[in-house]
Amino acid sequence: MYLRILRKDLKRKRTMNLILLIFIILAATFIASSANNMVSVVTALDNFFEKAGVPDYWFAISGQKENKRFQNFAEENNYKATTQELIQILPEDVKINDKKFIYYNSLFLSQLKNSTKIFDKNDKEITKINDGEIYITSEIFHSSKNKFKIGDTIHINKNGKSKTFTLKGNTKDAMYGSAMMGMTRFMISQNDYNYFYAVKKTPFYSIAIYDDSDFLEKFNKLKLNTVFHADYNGIKNTRIVDMIVSAVMLIVSICLILISMVILRFTIHFTMNEEFREIGVMKAIGIKNQKIRGLYITKYFSIATVGGVIGLILSYPFGKMMILNCSQNIIIPNEGNYFLNIICAIAVVVFIVLFCYFCTRKVKKFSPIDAIRNGENGERYHRKGILHLSKSRVAPVPFMAFNDILSGIKRYMTMILIFTLGILLIIIPINTINTLRSDELLTWFNMAKCDHVVGEEQIFNFNNNNKDIVNTRLQKIRTYFNEKGIEADVFQEIMFTMHISYQDKTTSSLAFQGTGDITPDKYQYLDGSAPQNKDEVALTYFIADTIGADIGDLVSIKNGETTKEYIVTAIYQSMNNMGEGIRFHPDEPLDYRYASGGFGVQVTYHDQPDYEEMDRRKGMLKELLPNGRVYTAGGYVNSMIGNIAGSVLQDIKKLILIVVLCINILVTVLMVKSFITKEKGEIAMLKAIGFRNSSLVIWQMLRIGIVLLLSTLIAVLFSTPLSELSVTPIFKIMGAKNIKFAVVPLEVYVLYPSIMLAVTVFASMLAALRICKISAAETSNIE
Amino acid sequence: MKKILEVKDLCKTYVVNKRQNNVLRNVNFTIADGEMVAVMGSSGSGKSTLLYSVSGMDNITAGEVSFCGKNITLLSQKELAGLRLDEMGFIFQQMYMLKNLTVLDNIILPACQSKKNTASRKEKIQSGQDLMRKLGIIDIADNDINEVSGGQLQRACICRSMINRPSMIFADEPTGALNRATSDEVMDELTKINNEGTAIMLVTHDVKVAAKCTRILYLVDGNIEGEYTLDKYTSETGLRERERSLNNWLMEMGW
Repeated sequence: MYLRILRKDLKRKRTMNLILLIFIILAATFIASSANNMVSVVTALDNFFEKAGVPDYWFAISGQKENKRFQNFAEENNYKATTQELIQILPEDVKINDKKFIYYNSLFLSQLKNSTKIFDKNDKEITKINDGEIYITSEIFHSSKNKFKIGDTIHINKNGKSKTFTLKGNTKDAMYGSAMMGMTRFMISQNDYNYFYAVKKTPFYSIAIYDDSDFLEKFNKLKLNTVFHADYNGIKNTRIVDMIVSAVMLIVSICLILISMVILRFTIHFTMNEEFREIGVMKAIGIKNQKIRGLYITKYFSIATVGGVIGLILSYPFGKMMILNCSQNIIIPNEGNYFLNIICAIAVVVFIVLFCYFCTRKVKKFSPIDAIRNGENGERYHRKGILHLSKSRVAPVPFMAFNDILSGIKRYMTMILIFTLGILLIIIPINTINTLRSDELLTWFNMAKCDHVVGEEQIFNFNNNNKDIVNTRLQKIRTYFNEKGIEADVFQEIMFTMHISYQDKTTSSLAFQGTGDITPDKYQYLDGSAPQNKDEVALTYFIADTIGADIGDLVSIKNGETTKEYIVTAIYQSMNNMGEGIRFHPDEPLDYRYASGGFGVQVTYHDQPDYEEMDRRKGMLKELLPNGRVYTAGGYVNSMIGNIAGSVLQDIKKLILIVVLCINILVTVLMVKSFITKEKGEIAMLKAIGFRNSSLVIWQMLRIGIVLLLSTLIAVLFSTPLSELSVTPIFKIMGAKNIKFAVVPLEVYVLYPSIMLAVTVFASMLAALRICKISAAETSNIE
Repeated sequence: MKKILEVKDLCKTYVVNKRQNNVLRNVNFTIADGEMVAVMGSSGSGKSTLLYSVSGMDNITAGEVSFCGKNITLLSQKELAGLRLDEMGFIFQQMYMLKNLTVLDNIILPACQSKKNTASRKEKIQSGQDLMRKLGIIDIADNDINEVSGGQLQRACICRSMINRPSMIFADEPTGALNRATSDEVMDELTKINNEGTAIMLVTHDVKVAAKCTRILYLVDGNIEGEYTLDKYTSETGLRERERSLNNWLMEMGW
């Protein structure tokens, strides 16, 4: 008997049961895959570093003298250190399929010996490289600049020795795999390495230390001239892109879980309400409450189990698809997590059964007639209709749409919540990407605002004419513009690595000095005032916190061989090396022999040119410096840190947009279908009294459109505080705690909401076409 | 008198589980201006199907239905909707109204939707209120539909069917869900409307209701088996006699 009732029920209420099943599948898929992805992305970087054997400290030094000093120091203190010699080559030494290799950072040839472990795209460790084969990092492989593919020929020519390699694959390289690291390596066989080794001039050593006790303290006291240094967290922090991608995925996962919960609650509530009439009939003919509840719990358990199993199966490919962009550069662990998918799917089934159990509790309370009246006893304490057609000038169809929403806002709450979350899911990453692309970003990298930046390879020599080289170049640009009647400030940041001490604390930090037409007040500070004379410096809050110094304190800074004391006058923020920075007054005579490099030459025009003129001047700069690359301020930072807002985040943005649109389409179609099922009587009546199909379809479309507009409004209101709440912590890790989000109103408030509106309303139209099949004559058949 | 509805050889067939079910078989009849015609018959005889078929709410299998001189079988869905909106009024057994609108709003809804009704919104409201006043339900104009009784609601449905001044009203068991007293009140309103010139075709099981009509069509298995004509009903006097004579005829027909 039970089975027969169930079978009949499943058949008769096919539409509603199907809607419930689809939503359960969706919920199970989203929850299972998102929970798995959450665990994966949160632990991924640590797992990857552990697998790769990333050291506690890593630094690079140039020259045998410095290496010898370190080796003696390591031996004396019994530190476990692995030293790997690298061959530095220039991007110009490399040809990809006979074309220029486009890369603007340091490049090395490396072999597997003494290296941290590297992995192929399938996460398998690379233990052997054959002669003539070459591997490059995934970050380089996937960048759009060179369009690499496996099998490409890579020709390397170094000091007269040349060899052509075949690109065997891309590596997941924990140490050299991020753009922020500022260097990359090509992995070749030992024989090939030895072939090029003979011609290298200055030895370059990459040293890994596996000791986390007192190494740093003693090492800082050694005051070694390092080219680069980072501790474990520092290496981890160079993975900004991966961290942002993971954080975005985390937000997406949380939103998908929330969406699923909202969908489930709505669907079960909606379908359970539909059951009340039958519950009443069963009660009226004397079936016991327990039996009635048992019947519905069995029904919902069966549907939930089928939905849960299908959802579980779908969660694997869906989860993989979502995480695909995260796993290009790092190893995302998934073994063992499948168990989590199963638990989540079971949780969805349990949730549904429990919900059904609690909903059917009302069965006990209701009399048969209450149940037949859909669980309502007729008492109402508030008016249903909010607006009055008789008091409005709006046409009936839009009026009905508005009035329906205002009169039954609870009914539309699910949609409002889902649409709002969806729009937030799009707006937050877009705000983040736009912030990362904005010109403002330049000021977070120890640079002053400017109009153009000319990036050009600049190699400093260990002699005292570095400053002259810089000034000559700045003068060349200045004169060029002056001759053309253009007034411009031309300046450049010169970078050093220095040791800074305050009381008993010492640390190493990047230090900067502006050269050319620049004054300290052109930079941004969080607190205090710009250095006014050569004995004053500004510190980043990261460095100030590290050594415990504050504004007004006297710090001691070692530049090359000399140590001098400076007064801290200001605190600022910087994302260089995750927050490092000491700003010197331009008049301070620093020892330029120890300059480690310079940022691009910056140009600020006095006449605030428009977009077209800017483009023209960009052309002029290119003409003057054919080897240089001319960027806007934002473009330069992107090139420096690896186009952070480039392909990966753009791909994620597209993926999120597609997922959100799919969710909107599904939710809209299923909601509209369930509304139509519930409103069949009203629709038939409206048709009978002369409403056209088109008017009724528009009625449904308008309701969805209004709900979406309302959701957009809510999402827009919450987008800025939520963007700050969710993304600011990531920027803080990177060294910038005071973030002003760059909002592009046209994109955020018009373009994407319009896309959502168009797609969602179109979906509602398709779903509402079912109205055409409802006959006006059905007014006589509706229960 | 001018023919308002003319039905020729109307057939309606349903296919249920591959079995053909001929609900209406070659039905022929006409309704003239100002007539009030009741369709009677046992359950399943095709009364409601006939009403919905001739009013253009349901498709027909064969035959011809002319309404105000227009062959509605040739009209598109859009034209049929227009016809229902402007020329026809409908009253159902279940008092369907939009739950989120007040009673007055429900009544004026077809007027606001009509393109033919060119009166201003204010005039439409006025005419809705006039109708409500006439039917004695003006007090519930601003009430929600679940705040009023079944009888009041059915009278509101009559107001709605009248708002665009239709040529004819179709009513499917308009008193089916009402008690006797309310049913009498509703029928009194319908006869008043009819006496003012609007043709009415209604389906009913109730002899008391049918006795107030001018003509009764008796349907058996989708065929009009008989037709009974009465004088125009104007007052309570003579109602009993009309009922008795109708009852006798129905008994003859096998009621």
